[in-house]
Amino acid sequence: MPILRNLVVAAVFCGAPFVAAQAPAGDAARGESAYMKNWCHTCHGTVGQGGDRGSGPRIAYDLWPYEAFAQQVRRPREVMPRYPAQFLPDSELADIYAYVAAAPRGRKAADIPELR
Amino acid sequence: MAEDEKKGGLARRDFLKGAAASVGATAAGAVLAQSTPEAGRGRAAAQVAPAKLGEPARKDKPLPGDIVIERPGSDFMLDVIKSLDLEYMATNPASSFRSLQESLVNYGGNRKPELLTCMHEEAAVAIAHGYAKAAGKPMGAMVAGSVGLQHAAMAIYNAWVDRVPVMIFAGNGLDVGKRRPGTEWNHSVQDPASLVRDFVKWDDYPVSLQHFAESTVRAYKIAMTPPMEPVLIGLDIDLQEEAIHEEGLRIPKFARSRPAQGDRAALAEAAKWLAGAENPVIIVDRAVRNQDGVKLMVELAESLHAPVVDLGGRMNFPMTHPLSHNESRRALVREADVVLLLEVGDPWAQFNSLSDPHKEMRHVGRKGVRIVNISMQDVYIRSNYQDHQRYMPVDLAINGDAQASLPALIEEIRKAVGDDRRRAFTARGEKLKEAYAKEKRRAREEAAHGWDLTPITTARLAAETWNAVKAEPWSLAVSDRIPWARRLWPATDYHHMLGGSGAQGVGYAAPAALGVALANKAKGLFTVTFQPDGDLMYSPGVLWTAAHHKIPVLYVMHNNRAYHQEIMHLQRMAALHNRRPDTAWVGNIIDKPAIDYAMLARAQGVWAEGPVTDPGKLGAALRRAVEVVKGGEPALVDVVCQGR
Repeated sequence: MPILRNLVVAAVFCGAPFVAAQAPAGDAARGESAYMKNWCHTCHGTVGQGGDRGSGPRIAYDLWPYEAFAQQVRRPREVMPRYPAQFLPDSELADIYAYVAAAPRGRKAADIPELR
Repeated sequence: MAEDEKKGGLARRDFLKGAAASVGATAAGAVLAQSTPEAGRGRAAAQVAPAKLGEPARKDKPLPGDIVIERPGSDFMLDVIKSLDLEYMATNPASSFRSLQESLVNYGGNRKPELLTCMHEEAAVAIAHGYAKAAGKPMGAMVAGSVGLQHAAMAIYNAWVDRVPVMIFAGNGLDVGKRRPGTEWNHSVQDPASLVRDFVKWDDYPVSLQHFAESTVRAYKIAMTPPMEPVLIGLDIDLQEEAIHEEGLRIPKFARSRPAQGDRAALAEAAKWLAGAENPVIIVDRAVRNQDGVKLMVELAESLHAPVVDLGGRMNFPMTHPLSHNESRRALVREADVVLLLEVGDPWAQFNSLSDPHKEMRHVGRKGVRIVNISMQDVYIRSNYQDHQRYMPVDLAINGDAQASLPALIEEIRKAVGDDRRRAFTARGEKLKEAYAKEKRRAREEAAHGWDLTPITTARLAAETWNAVKAEPWSLAVSDRIPWARRLWPATDYHHMLGGSGAQGVGYAAPAALGVALANKAKGLFTVTFQPDGDLMYSPGVLWTAAHHKIPVLYVMHNNRAYHQEIMHLQRMAALHNRRPDTAWVGNIIDKPAIDYAMLARAQGVWAEGPVTDPGKLGAALRRAVEVVKGGEPALVDVVCQGR
């Protein structure tokens, strides 16, 4: 199992092609509630768009495969705090995943006058 | 005789003599003070034999109300202070310096220095901190030596860590026979500076006026010699309030110490290493103190076509320059064969990291990398407070002021670079130019993420603010609070970004921005700052000071209604202790009720809008605020933002 986890993470970090297993069904509306309740937004922003330099990276838009996402939540690399299943059940994690996956990508920089 | 009586018994002949002997105090050289001992003796004579309580008034004995001290010691103290060209004196009033305050207003005309009324001593010192970085010289902060200095302590520590000169004057009374019972005893201390001696560069408690003159000029000189730091001078109550009785008082000449250049041979060796390096990197933090320094940094980088990572303690290097690579520090250090550190506050952290909370250390940097460190850190270091950071072994440590050492270093590099190296440098420069353009594109793309979200993203906050101020001669007073500004704003000049607090002591941003604005006002610059909500609540009275003194500054609130960094720390602790993480907000939110910062500002006479929650309305609100600031007044726009 650790080997599989490492492979998943390695694939994600290296950008290598990886065929993810189907993510468990989650409810985006419930996911928003769980995301906010657990203060994920304090570092990653309210839809996972990422924070300023020095805080949490963007997790939305190019969402990791569910296995890698879950791996990072349960046994995180770097400084992110761990969220064990006893406090964040698998069902809630799936809901959060659905919420972040549903984040609208929004406009590109080229379409925003203030960023030209 | 009637004329003499009006002067409290001072002989008219002596009074005129004193006036004729007055010499304007200047910084040009040692001068006699305007406050003469002749005048002092006049009032001293009037002090004798006051009528006893209950005793009928006698014509030959003056009543307490008859006593006049026309030339108190505080007049001379002010002459000394004026000789140092201090423009402002920030205070929260206190009786321990009442005589000097009165002299400053009535004897000195409340000009140079002008009193700034502050609501807290911490704000007074932080104003002086921001001012010094923008003005290039210190101002004064006058505090009570006991409770006032306790309030001021954190701000002094910030200035200490940020290497900024501040002239702190601390009122106090030593003579127990003259202290009023009660409060004055509670507010007296044997040795005021002991409270802050760990983080001021020098202090003294003068016991005579001549002593005050010499120590104050010495303190100013010490504060202005790199590494620049705060200094403290005690203001003895009796010395202030009693008459001048010393003969021949003189204000010493002030001559500024030239910053020390690093050893020439060592700079030549560093130049050879840098010239021969395949992947040199320049990391710079508090190296530059004016635009001349920025120009030298450009010359240095271009002489090598080397990337510059500006850590932002000062605005060291133009962010529009293709050799500016602030976002690539880790990657550059990993590949570097020679790294040049220029007055870097934490050299160890450039090559190492320590994870939190598990404390796993990682080394970044390739084997055999040669490190050159040009710094004054080894010259001045204290033991107790640990701002000296972890010990970092380097290959060539050059003791010297970075900016003062740059001309010689550049010259040595030019000597060391042959034609073959120049060709290699050009190729390196081209690659770096491409990487620079790529990073700028990436920054804009990343800033677009969540552009239309509510709460407003910090990237949009930075971009909208830039658009509102870009037509003005802008200056971002506190430039480390919204890092997006450092990625998106085209800062080129020293005054464009004035760094941060130094020690990350919260409560710096609001008053420091005011100090920056004070200095910028004289230069015709437009001051804007991002104002964290938690920081403002340390000293919200700063807004009143801004309104009262008509200091034009635009506060753009980063109102995220929590101490979000602390929430993250609580989450880490909960995870470490295997406990629920969803309680991390307890003790860390600034909500329920949410604070109305616009109302807080308006209550103190500051124009304000907000809370702005709709990102589409932010730009217009900021533009309206810019017009207010251009009219010479402070303004605040409260923006409800994402956490970070």
